[in-house]
Amino acid sequence: MTIRVAPVLALGLLVGAGLSPLAGQDSPFGINGLGTPGRFESARARATGGAFAAFDALSALTDASASGLGRLTASATGTTSYLSDDLGAVSGSRRSTRFPLFQIGGPAWSHVVLVAGVSTYLDRSYHVVVHDTVALGGSQQAVTDNLSGDGGVSDIRFAAARRFGHVVIGAGLHLLSGSSRFQFTRNFSDTSTYGDVTQAGEVAYRGMGFSGSAIVAAAPHLELAGFWRSDTRLSSEEDGKIVARHDLPTTLGGAIRWQPAPEATFGASLTHRGWASAADSNAYNTTTWSVGAEFGRRLPLRLGARGGELPFGPGGQAPRETAFAVGTGRVFAGGRGLIDVTVERLRRTGAGLTETGWTALFGVAVRP
Amino acid sequence: MSRSGLQRGLVVLAGLGVAALACFEEPTSPAQCPAFCPGGGLASVESLLPTAIQRDSSFRGYVQAHQSLMLLASNLPGVDSRPIWVSNAIQTRFRIDSGSDTTTGPIVVDSMKLTLWVQRRDTAAVHNLRLAFYQLPVGIDSATTLADLAPAFAGTPLRVVNVDSLAALPGRRDSITGDTVLAVDSIRRNSVLLRLKFAASQAGYSEADSGKLALGVIATGDSPPSVGLGSSDAGFPATAWWFIHVDSAGKLIRPDSLPLKATDSLGAPPTFDSFVFDAPAVTLDSDLTVGSVPSIRSLLHVDLPRGLRDSTQIIRATLQLVPAGALVTTTDSVFLQVKRLQADFGAKSPVVLDTFVASSRPFRGAPSDTVRIEMTTIFRGWQADTTAVTAFYLTLLALSRVDSVHASGTEASTLAALRFYSSRSPAFRPSIRLTYVPRVKFGAP
Repeated sequence: MTIRVAPVLALGLLVGAGLSPLAGQDSPFGINGLGTPGRFESARARATGGAFAAFDALSALTDASASGLGRLTASATGTTSYLSDDLGAVSGSRRSTRFPLFQIGGPAWSHVVLVAGVSTYLDRSYHVVVHDTVALGGSQQAVTDNLSGDGGVSDIRFAAARRFGHVVIGAGLHLLSGSSRFQFTRNFSDTSTYGDVTQAGEVAYRGMGFSGSAIVAAAPHLELAGFWRSDTRLSSEEDGKIVARHDLPTTLGGAIRWQPAPEATFGASLTHRGWASAADSNAYNTTTWSVGAEFGRRLPLRLGARGGELPFGPGGQAPRETAFAVGTGRVFAGGRGLIDVTVERLRRTGAGLTETGWTALFGVAVRP
Repeated sequence: MSRSGLQRGLVVLAGLGVAALACFEEPTSPAQCPAFCPGGGLASVESLLPTAIQRDSSFRGYVQAHQSLMLLASNLPGVDSRPIWVSNAIQTRFRIDSGSDTTTGPIVVDSMKLTLWVQRRDTAAVHNLRLAFYQLPVGIDSATTLADLAPAFAGTPLRVVNVDSLAALPGRRDSITGDTVLAVDSIRRNSVLLRLKFAASQAGYSEADSGKLALGVIATGDSPPSVGLGSSDAGFPATAWWFIHVDSAGKLIRPDSLPLKATDSLGAPPTFDSFVFDAPAVTLDSDLTVGSVPSIRSLLHVDLPRGLRDSTQIIRATLQLVPAGALVTTTDSVFLQVKRLQADFGAKSPVVLDTFVASSRPFRGAPSDTVRIEMTTIFRGWQADTTAVTAFYLTLLALSRVDSVHASGTEASTLAALRFYSSRSPAFRPSIRLTYVPRVKFGAP
């Protein structure tokens, strides 16, 4: 039965991917910056707050974790978010569905595991409606601006991992690519005097990055992971001309996973990203943490929490983010199909804006 | 249902649900700019282009009096205008018998009814509008002047009609004179169609002229009037309807009782209509002149900087003209209109025949302040079509009192003539005030 269900889910996710841009969860904090950074975590790793992501073969946070792919595996993750924002007395709500992670990989030769995948690097989707007045012709004119962007930057990853005894080494090449379609419109209340304005454009993004990571089995039930990633510069091109260049961060992080009993696993991670050089004074270096646990094997219970800073936001201080997650998963057909479900409660604060919401994540993996 | 079946159903349902949710999104966020708005947003810039108008000149002779869509009847201080027209010839003899007898009998005119549109009149300013009809020589044409017709207008009028009194009668009909207001146009305010009865002695029928009748009109009122009568060029000709009998050896026979049936009235629309006038002479000089009859237009070329044309979105473009005085003033409501050119051949440039025109606000007399004409649509058209000629005619039109959103008017339907400073007067030259939005740099955060 399960061998039939998994393709149905995969088909559902892939059909959806054709209708919606491959992008991550958006946030108002990223509008005035480069965007909202994506999370390279599968649904199962997200259920632990991301604490297990460094060791999770279905996640794209570290390359070394790919060694856990015992056979050819294709996986995808979908998210549906219901978010609400409160900015002073103004509130708004958003709903979006994204497919932030696709990946396929498996053993190649000599214990080397290869992985290729696409994940969200930066999401630049937003829609802002502004009611304002502008001084024109010696008087104040009421205007309504509709500012929208749709798209983002994707991370196309090619990675390899190999186990050397108690140590797993991984390395990856990252090609950053993508585009955003922007449309800004301005409607004047006085339509008899002023014409409406519509400006549209498409910006293509290009960049590159390298990553390396290692997982060490420090003790029979204790693993340590360290990872590093350096991305070059993000070039933004419009009509074939480079219109902007932004430095991209260097990432450093570490994680620990401890399994004191067969049905109990605990983990934690700490990550630092150097986003401050990416943009102007509204960009900040970020440090994020996560802790999580998994109990049970057949239908495990996963719990996690994460927190830290966001890289972009006004006010001279990095916005903060906190999230709690719970989830479970199921293996079907003798390990040939995996389904993971996670629900996350999110809260972001900064510069007077509070963003809260629920995110449902669905992960599916197929091992033919 | 078995447990595995239930699980399968739930999983399939979840998969389809995810696929359906992927079809929409509502990413609207609350806005507080610039903190939570994209950088490099829309900015409106106002700029005065003082030298954008170049190579501006005035030319005369576009619409002649006999081509006008309205026949001017003015009786203002210094301005005297009188409509004139000649009606078509009519059949003056009819066959009496249908057999081999080809004897014809002459027509005998019982009366003549004249249908006539009064298309423009100011009912608020002018009361007791009277139209006096004079018989003119049938040889009038476009070269005829008011001075040529002075003797004819010095005589006794065939009839005088008080239009306001007639329109105020119950049923809008005068049972004594036989005059009637046939229609009141619901679109053209104060526009009325008159049917005026001329008795046989007033009809001015002449068999020698084959029934051609030339008429002229003098308009008077309690205050000096300036009205417009319908013209054949506009599709509203003044038409004479001859009501006749046929003389058969002294016996008057109704035409419809003849063996060869004929109608009892013969319609005679004008073969020529125009108006003659006496007004101050309008000469062209270094300023820009508009109006008068034959109509005078000004041709203005616009030098729109490429940077503005290609890299901005124009949201408002205003032509500013500084008045340099009025050569002829009337009580007519007038406005200035801008019409694009299809090609630039100087004074003989053809205009683009579409609805993309720009107009000033209507006014009377001479404007005392800068005249502004909103040309946004035209400038946007020039941005969309960079091969288009960036030049236009400036014309003075008499306002048609039509209930319409946009001002409409006709050229050479007013004797008013205005002057505006040209580019040869640096301090007061025409200018363009432009409001635009520069191209947004989307790549910048």
